[in-house]
Amino acid sequence: MREWLKSRTGFEAIWKALFERAIPEAKGPVAWLYVLGSASLFVFIVQFTTGCLLAMSYAPTPDHAYDSVRFISDQVLAGRLVRGLHHWGATFMVVLVALHFSRVYFMGAYKFPREATWITGVCLLLLVLGFSFTGYLLPWDQKAYWATAVGTNIAAQAPVIGPSVAAVLKGGEEMGAATLTRFYAFHVLVLPALTALLIACHLFLVIWHGITEPPAREEDGAGDRRL
Amino acid sequence: MSQWHEEYLKRYKRAKQDGKPFFPYTVFKDTVFATLLLLALVGLALWRGAPLEELADPTDTSYNPRPEWYFLFLFQALKLFPGSLEAVAAVLIPGLIVGALFLLPFLDRGPRRHPFDRPLWLGLGVLAAGVWGWLTWAGITSPLTNPTVERNPLVSEGLRLYRILNCSYCHKIGGKGGAVGPELDKTAANKEAAWLERHFRDPQSVSPGSPMPKLNLLDDEIKGLVAYMQSLGGGGPYSDQAPRLFADHCSACHRIGKDGGDTAPDLSTIGSARDKAYLRRYIQSPSKLNPDSSMPSYKDQLSDVEIEDLARYLASQRE
Repeated sequence: MREWLKSRTGFEAIWKALFERAIPEAKGPVAWLYVLGSASLFVFIVQFTTGCLLAMSYAPTPDHAYDSVRFISDQVLAGRLVRGLHHWGATFMVVLVALHFSRVYFMGAYKFPREATWITGVCLLLLVLGFSFTGYLLPWDQKAYWATAVGTNIAAQAPVIGPSVAAVLKGGEEMGAATLTRFYAFHVLVLPALTALLIACHLFLVIWHGITEPPAREEDGAGDRRL
Repeated sequence: MSQWHEEYLKRYKRAKQDGKPFFPYTVFKDTVFATLLLLALVGLALWRGAPLEELADPTDTSYNPRPEWYFLFLFQALKLFPGSLEAVAAVLIPGLIVGALFLLPFLDRGPRRHPFDRPLWLGLGVLAAGVWGWLTWAGITSPLTNPTVERNPLVSEGLRLYRILNCSYCHKIGGKGGAVGPELDKTAANKEAAWLERHFRDPQSVSPGSPMPKLNLLDDEIKGLVAYMQSLGGGGPYSDQAPRLFADHCSACHRIGKDGGDTAPDLSTIGSARDKAYLRRYIQSPSKLNPDSSMPSYKDQLSDVEIEDLARYLASQRE
């Protein structure tokens, strides 16, 4: 069985490259700062799973969105739990990527040779904000509607392109059915596709360059020699 | 490739050789942390759930829009740049910050990685985090601009029917909707309940020649629609506090109905003459709108919420 898998899927080589690769040892509590990236990935998987479940009972039109969310919360089996997980997962996601971002920033982990890893990471950070902005409208309750009204008005402030950006987001001059459908399409199609692609790039680069070692203080300004 | 690049790669190779395998060294910690996260998520999902407010009402101007806490800093930053400068806070500054983030690895080059060896970047990072924290806190503690008012359930029912029956194909509320029928917040809001009820039962009976169809509504549905129509005037609902505010601060000089003084104009029907926004500005600084007025300014005596509440109460005083 093992032999078969090995010859047909290259499973062992992949396992070796991914899991048996050596990484620099981080000593003490600092080592726990390195869990933030994988934790973000974990929450992304939670969001993806609960999002798929929610999408099965959700209707992205102003006439039905609110009632379908109510239906999910009150009638669907474990619907309250799934909605709760997705809602709190969104908050956790923002917190985790912000902490992950801070870890990399303060440790200077974006430096040579990991510049490209950093750039994909910044893109992913923006995508997370895009997810929470578009997801906020979907329940179509008072909070959703008015927070989005404020958000799209902010986008409209941009010089020259602002009004067009706002019009693309809203699907017209006024917020309404087109806005909701559009936000739904962004939230469940455009953003997840981009995110999956960028996560793949980000992970590839992390494995390719190897994770950074914790930085040591300089002694003479020539690089952390103590390693 | 510069010299320190080569040196770094050599050193990193050595660190890797002296290091540990990813599995189980890192995977163990990742799994422990992911399990804790999952427990916290399930706990919050079961205990707090996901909030769901009332159905969105695009005509409701009294709602206090608040973004989620992690966008609050942006919302608060807008208040620091009033008027035409708003674009600076809304687009220019965030745009520059995002641009700087993309360029960061090319701005901060050099071999130094420890934060204490990069005082400039450490300082900028701490400053940014501090500003973010301060703006978020200011946003959380900033007062609401509208009084929070429990909505009458009949009004909510009326709003629901208004949407289900697609009344907005013909009618406008708050400037939104069709142009076939009258604008409801300007006309229907001033009608008496009995007239509205007869109108909903059979439009032709009170408005001969009206193209509005007979809707065959239930009595309860008519009640809801009437309540909704009557809630439209006056610039929004006011709290129970508002009549008391009037009694405490205004009734020495003004009267509404039978109660109040006569040294200043009677306000019993002021809502027919002035709208809420005008009344609010008047209460804040009477001399700006009417130089002859001897009324004192209430800007410092009442909070913004109280003035808004009072203005709505006055705007609802109609003939």
